[in-house]
Amino acid sequence: MNAHDLDASDDWLEAALRADADSHAHAYIDDAGFSAKVMTALPPAIEPVPAWRKPVVAVIWGVAAAGAALAVPQVAIDVGREAFALLVAQRLSVPMIGVALAALGFGTWSAAAYALRHE
Amino acid sequence: MASSDPDAALIARVVVNDDRHAFAELVRRHQSTVRACLRKLTAGNLALADDLAQETFVLAWRNLKSFRQEARFSTWLYRIATNCWLADARKRKEELLGDADAELPDDEAGDDPNAGSADHSRDTALKMDLEKAMRVLSEGERAAIVQCYHNDLTHEEAAYVLGMPVGTVKTHVLRAKQKLKAQLGAWQQ
Repeated sequence: MNAHDLDASDDWLEAALRADADSHAHAYIDDAGFSAKVMTALPPAIEPVPAWRKPVVAVIWGVAAAGAALAVPQVAIDVGREAFALLVAQRLSVPMIGVALAALGFGTWSAAAYALRHE
Repeated sequence: MASSDPDAALIARVVVNDDRHAFAELVRRHQSTVRACLRKLTAGNLALADDLAQETFVLAWRNLKSFRQEARFSTWLYRIATNCWLADARKRKEELLGDADAELPDDEAGDDPNAGSADHSRDTALKMDLEKAMRVLSEGERAAIVQCYHNDLTHEEAAYVLGMPVGTVKTHVLRAKQKLKAQLGAWQQ
């Protein structure tokens, strides 16, 4: 029972409020389709991604990358050579390491956010 | 077929398995009390109460993962329902500011075929006058009275539902009763 402030002069009001509350407590409101209406108002269910889809997509990307490398092998070799030269030719410095780490972190978080966007 | 699962089990099924049947059962169990609470808060506006009740359950669905069982599920629903009502009341107040002929709510008591009859019981007449007197209360006062009396919550539970300190709840109840006494003075014996 709720502990309300009781004052002798409030007894009639307290009784009226409790009587109103009692009638409210015992008055069941018939569902009459309300629950069904709520369920139709819910956001649509998100279809889960089939378990086979992610590995298949990874394989397709791998095949595409391999295919591109094989189709234009000289381009792949030139790009690899230039990328290596770019890295090796640079003098290492603390700011450069910081930039590299920041770029790596940004790339990692972006990939994670993209991968987890539906969860 | 009524489920015998307690609320916690149904909530777990919704959160873990996205089980809509379990949520539908929760709605069926609590729709009457939530709608009744909102009917009191909206002073008998049945259509508005049901709209707000629907919004309450949709919000409950969206936020069920954040329900940490810090209160009973019904109390948590009352909190959402009260916030929905407050948001709607403030929006309506802004729209109707200065409009003396503000929209009148549907009055269940007004449909009473015995209204005005000489045989109308004293208790029913007092109940009708109490319903009308509740309309002069502020939003906080009305919400406090509804939670503490009609929903039979303790002051602490009402404070959780209303998002205010326990002392403020008690002050609202006190002021509400003072206003109701002033409105219903003729009934004082």
